[in-house]
Amino acid sequence: MPRYIARQLALLLITLLLLTIFAFCLSYWFPGDPVTNSAGIFLDDPRYQDIAKARGFESNVFVQYWHYLQHLFRGDWGVSLLDADPVFEQLQLRFGATLEIAILAMLIAFVPGLSLGVIAALNFRKAADNIILGLSLSGYSIPVFWFAQIAILVVSVHWGALPIAGQINPLYAIQPITGSILIDIALSQPEQAGAAFRSALRHITLPVLVLAIMPTVLLTRLMRNSMLDVLDKNYIISGYAKGLSTPRVIWQHAIPNAMQNVVRELGSLLSLLITNTMIIEVIFSWPGLGNWLIRSIYERDFPVIQGGLLLIAALILSVHVLLNLFHAWRYPQVRKDLYAAA
Amino acid sequence: MPRPNLYYEERTPSPLERVWLEFRRNPLAMGGLYILIGIVFISIFGPWLTPYGPNQQIADAISLPPAWSENGDIRFLLGTDELGRDMVTRIIYGARYTFAYPFLVVLASASIGMLLGGVAAMTAGVKSSTLKHLLDVIMSIPSLLLALIIIAITGPGLENALLAIGLVLIPQFLHVTRNAIYDEQRKPYVTASKLNGVNDFYLLTMVFFPNIVKVLVVQLTIGLSIAILDIAALGFLRLGAQSPTPEWGSMLAQSLEVAYISPWVMALPGIALFLVLVSVNLVGDTLRIAIQKQLER
Repeated sequence: MPRYIARQLALLLITLLLLTIFAFCLSYWFPGDPVTNSAGIFLDDPRYQDIAKARGFESNVFVQYWHYLQHLFRGDWGVSLLDADPVFEQLQLRFGATLEIAILAMLIAFVPGLSLGVIAALNFRKAADNIILGLSLSGYSIPVFWFAQIAILVVSVHWGALPIAGQINPLYAIQPITGSILIDIALSQPEQAGAAFRSALRHITLPVLVLAIMPTVLLTRLMRNSMLDVLDKNYIISGYAKGLSTPRVIWQHAIPNAMQNVVRELGSLLSLLITNTMIIEVIFSWPGLGNWLIRSIYERDFPVIQGGLLLIAALILSVHVLLNLFHAWRYPQVRKDLYAAA
Repeated sequence: MPRPNLYYEERTPSPLERVWLEFRRNPLAMGGLYILIGIVFISIFGPWLTPYGPNQQIADAISLPPAWSENGDIRFLLGTDELGRDMVTRIIYGARYTFAYPFLVVLASASIGMLLGGVAAMTAGVKSSTLKHLLDVIMSIPSLLLALIIIAITGPGLENALLAIGLVLIPQFLHVTRNAIYDEQRKPYVTASKLNGVNDFYLLTMVFFPNIVKVLVVQLTIGLSIAILDIAALGFLRLGAQSPTPEWGSMLAQSLEVAYISPWVMALPGIALFLVLVSVNLVGDTLRIAIQKQLER
């Protein structure tokens, strides 16, 4: 196991290094001046000469890359071309907001997704299976940006049950600390904490529910297929043969083993979830990473694109490695395969 | 199972026939197939089927609801949008942008990816784990994000979006082809061909290819579903097809402003997109099940 951890972490480190090289190259690939693209300072700005010097733009690209890395670790990611906000501080706040809805949606997806998958597998090729499969197929094919609009139109506009967009009623002045609105309310303790909390909850409900559909149906499919594989195995038959009750076989033998395949696929599921989070943020005006990134691509705000892409890609890669490690730690037989392959 | 006739003859249907039988057994899959055929027909012959142009504005018919509602007009079966453009016409024209272009792009990137994957699997030098890890990294980043990176460099636009999606899909096909060839490499029939002394090109095209084409077809449907969804999503985010283009995603984006007054302008492109995606996924799933059954035999 330590060998595996070391290997995975080394790979992650190398990949992240490659990622920073890529992000550095972006400032050359974007149209315009590389200093402006990476620092967000225009050519006619009086600070331009100093910034260009600090970022090493007087010598060769290797020195420039070294200075880029130094700036990166110092948290100096340049300023936005649009409103001169420092990119790093803004990204920190928006990162919290993005993680908030993504994690909540994932948590909400787990219980119905897994249980529907188990139910479908136990009723293989019966009515319940067909209904669940049909639901999951349509849930998987529904374009999230369209479904979110329909949900807003029906739930928010037609019924008036929930707010249309935003993070909280703007009347509550919540000091942004982490970016995640629910945690911020708990931390800053405004006068009307209870009411503010309720308002934030009402705002967060619709985006999280819409976002949770995709992971739910994917988990259902994964769990169903994996359960079907496991139910064919000999140890299930032997479990029945030695007289265990059906619930005991299912709960103690089938489900824990079926989870192994599900955990392996969680990484790609999370990638899809992040994509959908970006789209959902745009629709619900959620002040998150994706919303800002997409706006900045539209407005050609290069420092923000550079920083946002770096952060999202780094997040996805790190989560992948963490999931790999968890998978290997939880399921020793996977580890054996890995060593044999290495 | 007891067989009633003594002199029975067991005829094994050909692989293609078995796929067809699998489709016939599942009415939903047949429905998906018919919808796909319909979409292909519409995207080829669309311009001859429609009475109006995609951007032709009819001044006396602005924001008309579909024909079956009270204020509807039979000239416009599914109503008109806020600029007086016929919805049926726009959706039929949109099939080209949302289905046909992604389809062509997927075909192009599939052929490039398969070629590279074949070469990668055949050459001994690239067998190192470097390529595998690199592919793993690229594939772990979601396709839409990769497309966003490319569009950030090239700038918004339908051509750039198509190019971006095409580039993004290549690694996936490369990966699948390479893995499929790896799985086949140890099988006796490959050894037999090698002993026969065939050259690498023959081995790749005549020995491997017919045996891995099933996997590639399934990957093709997966790629198509990703491409359609991503092109529409980029259009929706106003980074793909731009405003007057009747691409379904960008039609959805425009409909945001009038969603409350004329909800059908928003509902229709979404329903069309949903139907296409469901059919592509259904056909892909059925193909996968059919192939799995063939492998189990």
